Parts: sequence; structure tokens; C-alpha cells
Amino acid sequence: MSRTETAGAPTDDAGGDEEFDPVGTLALIAVYFAILVLAWVYIYYIEFLGRDLVVVG
Amino acid sequence: MHIHAYEKIWLALSIVLILFLLGSVTYGAVGPGVAMVADSEAQIDANALDEDDRFAEPRVEQVGENEYEAYVVAYQFGFDPSPIVVPEDSTVTLQITSRDVIHGFEVAGTNANTMAVPGEVAEVTVEVGEPQEYGIVCNEYCGAGHHGMEGKLHVVTEEEFESEDGGDSE
Ligand SMILES: [Cu+2]
Repeated sequence: MSRTETAGAPTDDAGGDEEFDPVGTLALIAVYFAILVLAWVYIYYIEFLGRDLVVVG
Repeated sequence: MHIHAYEKIWLALSIVLILFLLGSVTYGAVGPGVAMVADSEAQIDANALDEDDRFAEPRVEQVGENEYEAYVVAYQFGFDPSPIVVPEDSTVTLQITSRDVIHGFEVAGTNANTMAVPGEVAEVTVEVGEPQEYGIVCNEYCGAGHHGMEGKLHVVTEEEFESEDGGDSE
């Protein structure tokens, strides 16, 4: 979208794209990633594999 | 095509996550040997269980050094045999079927959990440890008495198993 909007000002576009750093989004994704990894470790390794009578056949 | 540096990071993270999930399941299968309940057993006639070698007389049978097989019939509203008695530290293969409607067979609080479908035999192999008493619940709604449908799995000591076994056959 920014490409079409700034089509008349190509110099602005080149600089603006590099300076656009959504650190908030990155941080949010990092937190979400950590939650998913921890949840999976808990669900699979601790709750599932840690239970009695693991089905082996 | 230009991809923002941050976007590369979260693309990489999502791939790492997928590989981690796949890797975990692979580890489970290779390491602890987690298996699925398959449809490997042949179909049987649910209306003629009394003529079936295994299910005419639901029981626990020794099939190897430390291996036991339990033939279990689920019905409205219970499990036969109840309790299922097996010795400690053994490998137990449960073969479960139903003689009427679909039931569930879940050793409460454990991973031993399958459906009991009339005409089908579900085979679940587990390794039991210390003597312990487990409850078995039906987790498929099977009729008016579903809520009261329960069974027992008793893991007993070697000696107890021997004596109970002798008692049963007399
Ligand atoms: Cu039931």
C-alpha cells in the first residue's frame, strides 16, 4: 500500500521502508512464541509423556 | 522482493516452531515408543461374542515371560472383567470390544484410552509398574446408565496375582 501511495515521492519510500521498525510487533511475536513453546513443552513432555500407562503398541 | 528484517525473524521463528512440534512427536515415537491405536485387528461379530475365542470369556491371560493379554468386553453399563487384574512390572496388551453400542475405555488419569466399538477390537499395549488401583471410565455416551459405567484395573504384586489366579480357576 505504501508503495502506491508514495509512488510520486520515491525518495521518501526508500528511506521510510528501512526506518519502519515495528519493535512492538516483534516483541509481541517473541512473547507469543515463548508462550507456545512453553505450553507445548508442558502439554507434550510433562503432561502427556509424564502420565502413567503410555501406549506403546 | 524486499522482506523486512523483522519479518525474516518471525518467519524463521514459525519454521522453528513447526520443526519443534514435529520433532517432539518424532521423539515420542522413537524414544518412549508412543504408539497409536490402529485398526490392525480383524473385525469380529459383535452379536456372537460368546462364540469368540477371546471374548466369550473375558479374562487376563499370560502370553509370554512377563507379558499378559486382557480380553475386555464393554457393555451397557460396565466392563468385563472387572477388575482387570494384572501383575506388577509387566507388559499388558488390552484387547477391547463392545457387545452392544460404542463405548469408551479410559484408564482414568493415564494415556490408556480408546473407543470400544462393536465388531472392532481395539488393541492397546501398556507397561504397568508398581501395584496400584486404577479406575476405568466410559467416555462415550452410551445410554441411560452411562454416568455409572465404570471398571477397575488392579495392578497387584506377583504373589497376589498368583493366588488370585488360582482362586479364579477353582
Ligand atoms: Cu459406555
